[in-house]
Amino acid sequence: MGASIKKIDIYLPETVLSNDMLSQEFEDLNSEKVEKRTGIRERHVSAENETALDLAERAARNVFEHEDPVSVDFIILCTQSPEYYLPTGACILQDRLGLRNNIGALDISLGCSGFIYGLALAKSLIAANTARRVLLVTSDVMTKHVHPKDRANRTIFGDGASATIIDKSDSEGILHFSLGTDGRGYRNLIVPNGGLRHRYDPDAPDIDDGFGGIRSENHLYMNGPEIFNFTIDAVPKVVADVLEKNKMTMDDLDYVIFHQANKYIVDYLRKKIGIPKEKFYINLLQTGNTVSATIPIGLKYVLEQGIVRSGDVVLVSGFGVGYSWGATVLRI
Amino acid sequence: MQKSEFYDILMETLEIESVDSLNESTVLTDLEEYDSLAVLSLIAMIDEHFGKRIPGTEFQKITTVKSLMDLIGVDFE
Repeated sequence: MGASIKKIDIYLPETVLSNDMLSQEFEDLNSEKVEKRTGIRERHVSAENETALDLAERAARNVFEHEDPVSVDFIILCTQSPEYYLPTGACILQDRLGLRNNIGALDISLGCSGFIYGLALAKSLIAANTARRVLLVTSDVMTKHVHPKDRANRTIFGDGASATIIDKSDSEGILHFSLGTDGRGYRNLIVPNGGLRHRYDPDAPDIDDGFGGIRSENHLYMNGPEIFNFTIDAVPKVVADVLEKNKMTMDDLDYVIFHQANKYIVDYLRKKIGIPKEKFYINLLQTGNTVSATIPIGLKYVLEQGIVRSGDVVLVSGFGVGYSWGATVLRI
Repeated sequence: MQKSEFYDILMETLEIESVDSLNESTVLTDLEEYDSLAVLSLIAMIDEHFGKRIPGTEFQKITTVKSLMDLIGVDFE
């Protein structure tokens, strides 16, 4: 017995922000250069009154198009853009989706590693017979955290949500995990103000990032160089470790999907680890970096395109804010 | 590594087209190619060619090509 991914669907907000539109706001932004380096041509942006929970609900409704939502025994909602401090978003989602009352629901607050951790939790819940069917929803609206004049982060991030149904299955579809955490890096990817440590400051001064961008302590701060250093260090190790835990080598894998941070970083990691190009997913063209949604967006794409088929073995890895990282191997 | 080889690598890494060649006193941060993504390219280049990891905050100290060479901290011939 085991746990397997039954179905994945996504939701992207209607509004699309292209590089060309951004270049009208930032006069020295070169659309083609941004696309060449980051792999991003456009990204979806949530509406003013559209929250991560709204996106989560839409993604979940999409995944339930031909499935019975009443069969869900547990909801895991992964977001770092919560509706409230309390209550828990997953509880509100239970009601919005009309799910049963005798089910569990909880939020996890993780970013780019969130999908991997959600899978680890779902697998554990199913293995312990706590649930037969888990709904894992990842949803983030990073564009709401980004300062309007923060050129770099506005090019990178997009909004999006995913919904994945994980079922108890006869054979194991979600194999062993390798997980990692290093809180020393917490300041390098952070929204400093707005929590209880540092309250939202309506008078927070603008901060120049040195590359023509502006943010404030109320907005997202990303120390790109440090984050890249972290990924260069952590990702090759987690890939090696998860392969070892599953008694596999790179040759056993049919496909690899990493969190889509940006094309440059992801492709550098591919080369450093030695993953063949034809086995490796890079696609940020129309979505950008959607944080916890990039891996399920990728999975849905490769399944729909027939790039990955039933029986294939796929390594997935997420890494980022926290620092937090993880990887597992899926048998599709 | 020879300095000339390093300059070639740097030209390629940063995809520099705005000047024909580099030398120690070229001010990198004045080049139009030098942006936040260029810093990521430098990190990848230093990892690939020198096997070194430079703390992110150190990149703020970069001005000239010489300052980058000092940061990498190896002897160039």
